[in-house]
Amino acid sequence: MSIVDADIAFVAPPKPTGRRVSRKAGDHSWRYIALGLIFPASVLLFWQIAAQQRWVSDVFLPLPSKTAWAFVTMVEKQDFSHDFLASIRIVGQAFFYGSVVGVLFGVAAGFSRTVERVFGPTLDGLRHIPGIAWLPLIVLWIGIGAPAKILVIAKSVFFPVFLNTLQGIRSIDRNYIELGNVLKLTRGQQIRKIVIPGAMPSILVGVRYGASLAWALVVVAEGLSGQEGLGFLIFRAQSLLLTDQLLVCMVVIGVVGFAIDRSVGILQRHLLRWKHGFQG
Amino acid sequence: MSRSETLSLRNIGKTYQIDGQDLCVLDEISLDIAGGSFIGIVGPSGCGKSTLLRLIVGLDSQYDGVISLGGETVVGTSLDRGIVFQDHRLLPWMTLEQNVGLALLNSTLGQSERKERVADLINLVGLRGFETVFPHQLSGGMAQRAAIARGLVTKPRVLLLDEPLGALDALTRVRLQDELLHIWEIERITMILVTHDVEEAVYLGDRVIVMHPAPGRIADDFSIDLPYPRDRASQEFTNIRQRVLIAMGAYDGSRRRAA
Repeated sequence: MSIVDADIAFVAPPKPTGRRVSRKAGDHSWRYIALGLIFPASVLLFWQIAAQQRWVSDVFLPLPSKTAWAFVTMVEKQDFSHDFLASIRIVGQAFFYGSVVGVLFGVAAGFSRTVERVFGPTLDGLRHIPGIAWLPLIVLWIGIGAPAKILVIAKSVFFPVFLNTLQGIRSIDRNYIELGNVLKLTRGQQIRKIVIPGAMPSILVGVRYGASLAWALVVVAEGLSGQEGLGFLIFRAQSLLLTDQLLVCMVVIGVVGFAIDRSVGILQRHLLRWKHGFQG
Repeated sequence: MSRSETLSLRNIGKTYQIDGQDLCVLDEISLDIAGGSFIGIVGPSGCGKSTLLRLIVGLDSQYDGVISLGGETVVGTSLDRGIVFQDHRLLPWMTLEQNVGLALLNSTLGQSERKERVADLINLVGLRGFETVFPHQLSGGMAQRAAIARGLVTKPRVLLLDEPLGALDALTRVRLQDELLHIWEIERITMILVTHDVEEAVYLGDRVIVMHPAPGRIADDFSIDLPYPRDRASQEFTNIRQRVLIAMGAYDGSRRRAA
């Protein structure tokens, strides 16, 4: 007696990787990229015309070509990569510490109402003091070096990750926990196999937001204290009226922020590939 | 029958507290289920049949009476007692293979034996080729097969089926009934099927228990000795189905309305 029947026969097994079949217009992705480029290209063109026609002074808006040259000069003569990497390092570490601690606290509070009651109100209060408001005090304590910025930014990453992790754990279907009991999973196995994966969509929302926030904050933090980094460069360029260098910093900050968000988005799509219809 | 261990329920009572009031959902249920038998439990909604399964599987220990399997009192959940829920309850983030294998996480089997056992079960329920598929890519019937495979993979002594076919369309449901019979004939374990579909219970069970609600209690107990596979259209089959329906009280209402 064969027990394979029409219920199955009509459905061919999908590709074993379980990968999402390309988006509706995956073959025409260049078209989407082109569509996305129309607007920035127009802005660039307008900028070029405005600067060339001297509608605004060179001090306020240098030529795009001059800005591009400023970028080359900065890279070749002013050790731009040093400042760039300084910012990246701070954000990388702050993001790492903030999200790890956020997930750990989120899991702990998600599991134990006691933990949540003990720390909840305090954290809720601290949350409303922006990271940047902490910076002067922290600098007073540990100086203007990288650790102060890492601490302040990590704090800002911590909250969205923590809150989303907590939320994710609280919203896990009780039935799955019940299933874990039926299958005799240990507490550790329940956490690894059920709780963390179940909370993952929510955790990643926090992580993605935290990553963008960290990058935005490093510019402010470096502008306020210290002698290196993109934030330092952008404020120095302003005070020296090096508008072309200022614009270079802005563009680099924008491009990196964009890249960070897209990378986390790709990670998100990969980790949540089990979610029906999830597009990131 | 290799595992002739009786599942025995002695004076089972269960009471919920709702707004300070006691609501008795199970009252003095006593039942002996011979090892290797296929029991259908039918009854209207609210007769406590699903609650009874929860007690047997060990998800709820707040009850009166004693449940024992092969002479040992049942305490908490155990891999000896598998369950298939009405919702397939596959973890959406795991592939079919991982879902079935999850039940073996704490088994004493070695890595390769586990793999083999998972593959065997996936094969048994006819899902070979779908091992690395995520649940959302499966149809309702396929997901329920996977859940049955997960329920069986630990070689339980008893498999509890809580309306596993209730949410499926009629055609898939009839097919899966035949598969359940097939699996039962191969595995030779005790199966307890809770359903509100009398025909399903009579088609599958070698015994059908009828429960009544408020409080949940056993109203009747039919032993069905028709040979397998059964013919739903046969006179004997329809007779028994009719008797079970009458025992459930299905015809009382209509008679009253007619009068």
